[in-house]
Amino acid sequence: MTTTALAARGIRKSFGGVEVLHGVDLDATGGSILALLGENGAGKSTLMKILSGDYTPDAGSIDIDGTVVSAFDPRTARAAGIRMIYQEFQDAPTLSVAENISLGRLPARGGVVNGRAMRERARSVLSLMGVELDLDAPVGGLRVGERQIVEIARALSDDARVLILDEPTAALSQQEVDRLFTYLRDLRRQDIALIYITHRLDEVTEIADRVQVLRDGDVAAVGPVVEFDRGAMVTAMIGRTASSVERPLPVTIPEGTAPAVEFRSVSVPRAYSDVSLMVRPGEVVAVYGKLGSGSGELVETLFGLHTPSQGEIRVTERPFRPKGPAEAIAGGVGLVPPDRKREAIFAVRSVAENIAVASWRRLADAGLLIRRATEGRAFAHWYATLGIRSRNDPRQEMGTLSGGNQQKVVIARWLERGTPILAMIEPTRGVDVGARAEIYRSVRELAGQGMAILVSTSDYEEVVQLADRALVMSRGRIVTELTDDHITTGALLTAAGG
Amino acid sequence: MNQETNPGGTLSSDLTTGRASGSLGAGGTATALTSDASLGVSHEAGGRKLRFPETGALLIFLAVLLIVFALLSDVFLTYDNLINVLVTASVPMILAVPATMLLISGQFDLSIGGGVALITTIFAWSITNAQFSTPVAVLIAVAAGLAIGVLNGFLVTVVGINALITTLGTLAIFRGLSLIITEGLPIQINGFNALGIDRPFLNITWSTYIFIAITLLAIFVLRSTVYGRTLYAIGANPVAARLAGIRVNNIIFITFIVSGLAVALAGLITSSYTGQGSGQNALGLELQVITAVILGGASLAGGRGAILGTLLGVLILGIINNGLTLLNVQSFWQDVARGSLLILAVSIDVLRLRLASRSG
Repeated sequence: MTTTALAARGIRKSFGGVEVLHGVDLDATGGSILALLGENGAGKSTLMKILSGDYTPDAGSIDIDGTVVSAFDPRTARAAGIRMIYQEFQDAPTLSVAENISLGRLPARGGVVNGRAMRERARSVLSLMGVELDLDAPVGGLRVGERQIVEIARALSDDARVLILDEPTAALSQQEVDRLFTYLRDLRRQDIALIYITHRLDEVTEIADRVQVLRDGDVAAVGPVVEFDRGAMVTAMIGRTASSVERPLPVTIPEGTAPAVEFRSVSVPRAYSDVSLMVRPGEVVAVYGKLGSGSGELVETLFGLHTPSQGEIRVTERPFRPKGPAEAIAGGVGLVPPDRKREAIFAVRSVAENIAVASWRRLADAGLLIRRATEGRAFAHWYATLGIRSRNDPRQEMGTLSGGNQQKVVIARWLERGTPILAMIEPTRGVDVGARAEIYRSVRELAGQGMAILVSTSDYEEVVQLADRALVMSRGRIVTELTDDHITTGALLTAAGG
Repeated sequence: MNQETNPGGTLSSDLTTGRASGSLGAGGTATALTSDASLGVSHEAGGRKLRFPETGALLIFLAVLLIVFALLSDVFLTYDNLINVLVTASVPMILAVPATMLLISGQFDLSIGGGVALITTIFAWSITNAQFSTPVAVLIAVAAGLAIGVLNGFLVTVVGINALITTLGTLAIFRGLSLIITEGLPIQINGFNALGIDRPFLNITWSTYIFIAITLLAIFVLRSTVYGRTLYAIGANPVAARLAGIRVNNIIFITFIVSGLAVALAGLITSSYTGQGSGQNALGLELQVITAVILGGASLAGGRGAILGTLLGVLILGIINNGLTLLNVQSFWQDVARGSLLILAVSIDVLRLRLASRSG
């Protein structure tokens, strides 16, 4: 006996005269998990912000258990039991687990916190979830997956009836993902309605009961998960048939080509040990591993961010020991880091500056004076070459571009610099399907022109679509090397140990 | 695989124009310093576009002040008085230039008031007590300014203390040292008129010509040089700047040294026109300067700001002080006016950030 917990009908919303939701329906049913899919900009987050009361819809209605809720605001959303778990944690890192679970509603009498009641509340909700956590540990010191569990525990202990999760697995290790899914299935048994936003299609099949796809502010498809295979989901998301996960054409590197990058039994304490690998000009080598496997640190080492305790790195057959990014770049390595907003972009500066930043010395007259026209030319060139979608204005602020286009700008930065080696970590995180395909195509073309590319990723489909050779990492060691047609999702997952 | 293939070459036939050349052929050592002999026209290449509403608002505010004071005081709109405003702006503007550069890169230097006092006392002590010649005393003052910059830069970039805390500490240290050197009483300086007293042309002091020259130079540096661009990038995102190959700490260190040298210059000018080295010199100057910089549109969050805005900020504060003095308003009210302006300026900055994050 399931009851409809939440029914949104004909939701419309415009920003600055542009309608981003054109009358969208959504049903979240108790005891069921709804996967909400859509490319960036499809309207997912706007719809969720309407459900959580952050935005007021221009038109449409929201029913909770058959009662129309008028004047939907954060308070009514809260009273209706709608809770959202954001990608970026909304917790207080310096406070304890127990305090975080009661955040905003500490049990108190006369303004004095009842510590015992607070701990009891935390203990009971965590035991309901079957989790053991130190109630007094500061949340900031927990692992990402544990912090997320604290966030879910907070929502549950606050009588959540509709739980919205925004890409909850983005930063989780495979183990943590499995554990999260166990909790979500538990919650489903407790008659809670779950809305699960994700980019990872394999997760949909694994966890969801129903699927709803948004595209350009409309519902592109909705139905039970059994009616959807991968192709159907992707087609609904991008509005055209997409070839499924496709391998790049095999490349032949002539015998005897000197490697551009070589790792010889390299170890970095607390990250990985005894790693050997080789990247030749013209090939893409992917290191596949979940968070904590050491794959990210491996690529960072090439960029001078870690110092090996053992072994040797060689670039173009010479020992390479960069003491930091500046030296690594001077040695011919560029890095596309994983956290674009925090590590790669200058949001308040122009797109042209974002492209030119690593090449200013070369672009400047006499290595000193920068002319805006020079930067403008660099922009115009990469704008056309990489298909950057922006206003075609070199002075546009970087922060106003979409994630996929920002990523293209970050890649353009290294192309402008002309580094022969490109290191990339999670190159398409937070990038929508369409832009993702374009980035893959560009990376393949760059390899075709002789660049040596080393990618670290936790997305096995990315490995399949990008790599000429794949190294699978687990617990700081390379466990398997796959080449050409042996690179399949199955082989990767098997090698990584699930 | 052909080593000479340009990584961007075929993707873009235009790359062969040499933009990325020189980096690959050399077997991967991309120390490309090849100057791209571009014929581009140099125009406002520096930081953000001068967004008209902001600069416009400052200009309008300035105009309103001019009109109001002109109506209220007969003396205000005379040549001598306006020159006086300009002359008085010398020291704040010389200090506001590095302060703008620091704020653009996300840093602060609050120690400038104490630093200026310390320079005046060191200079006065060198001339009057130690009987050094003027050139030697000037050299000592410049060396002291350099040391101030090195100390602040070292604490912020090498030790890694937050700039606000560091310079709040050194502010107190410099002020205290200047009082120790003078034993609490001013030391007279005789015959050092060159910077702040003599008026060689147009009845304007050397200090004014110096500050105008520095302002023009700074506009150019921030707009068109690699160093200037780098400051904006560091302020906009220090992590990304480091990963783009910018030696963030070196640049910040250098900028603190620039600030220290500006303090030396400001200290010499102050010595000249006050004729004494005193621990009471330049009291509260740091707040006046920071107020002007923020009023001028530099963002507390870093990455935005321009010298022209700072100049308008300095002039607005100078005109308010001058106008209120002419109107015989108690000088304490000038502090109230300055404090209110600071809060107003920061509120505008906060509001702008909030609007920006909403639209983004």
